[in-house]
Amino acid sequence: MPTDPLIMLSLGLAVAAALVLLWFLLWRPKLTRVTKVALLFGIGVLPIGTATTGNYVGFEATKARSFCGSCHVMTPYSNDSGDLKSTTLAARHARNAMFGEENCYACHADYGMFGTIKTKLGGLRHIYLYVTEYRNTPLEEARETIHIRKPFKNSTCMHCHSTQNPDWNAVKEHASLVERVRDGSVSCASEGCHGPAHPFSKRPFGGAP
Amino acid sequence: MKLLYASAILTLIALGLMVWSLFQPTPLPVMVAMSVGQGLGTAAFAAYGYVVVRDILRLRREKRDAE
Repeated sequence: MPTDPLIMLSLGLAVAAALVLLWFLLWRPKLTRVTKVALLFGIGVLPIGTATTGNYVGFEATKARSFCGSCHVMTPYSNDSGDLKSTTLAARHARNAMFGEENCYACHADYGMFGTIKTKLGGLRHIYLYVTEYRNTPLEEARETIHIRKPFKNSTCMHCHSTQNPDWNAVKEHASLVERVRDGSVSCASEGCHGPAHPFSKRPFGGAP
Repeated sequence: MKLLYASAILTLIALGLMVWSLFQPTPLPVMVAMSVGQGLGTAAFAAYGYVVVRDILRLRREKRDAE
């Protein structure tokens, strides 16, 4: 049973709307001013409230790791993130309170002006591809065929690790590569640096996972 | 009145789809709630608006004719 206050509000509004509608459908009152106002709430105000709060809850739900992991091809990635013993980049970020249960979204979201919209559109594309191509793909095959669409951008890492911090620059590998990290010609998540981010993304970009 | 009953039933279906996504926040229910659910809800509200406006215009016309 959900306990989030916003979910409870959304449910409350839906129940209130349903009660008004059931009253109208079962009692069949005449179309007086009172009925019109009651229906304005039952068909308009209360359902719009449900939709508004439901949208917010829904968008928040899309950030959760469990949401990403609900498609079977993502299960190994999701399980690895939740594995307390895993030392992958994704798992270590998942153990950080700043990311936690939203670590997939935190690292794979766009952070530009239209970042959220671009991220959601990308998510719709994922669902389209899953439904049309990968729904019945065995997990072993999916690990070999599914890979990230574009190289992972360093700017996503730099959203938190700005490369300006003296402690960051005190690491000699960082200091020697700082310009290449900033222009993206060396990936933070490359093997030998901090990658691979997932245990199944060991092949170079374009080759497979 | 029939349109209003249909509107009420559509709203109940829309509410059901929206509530489903609250209990099961996975891709299919969330997408169905945000597309089909809200589409049905909007259609139902539009139907309600049409019926109410038509009724108000009818009442005005009857009042004017009575005068």
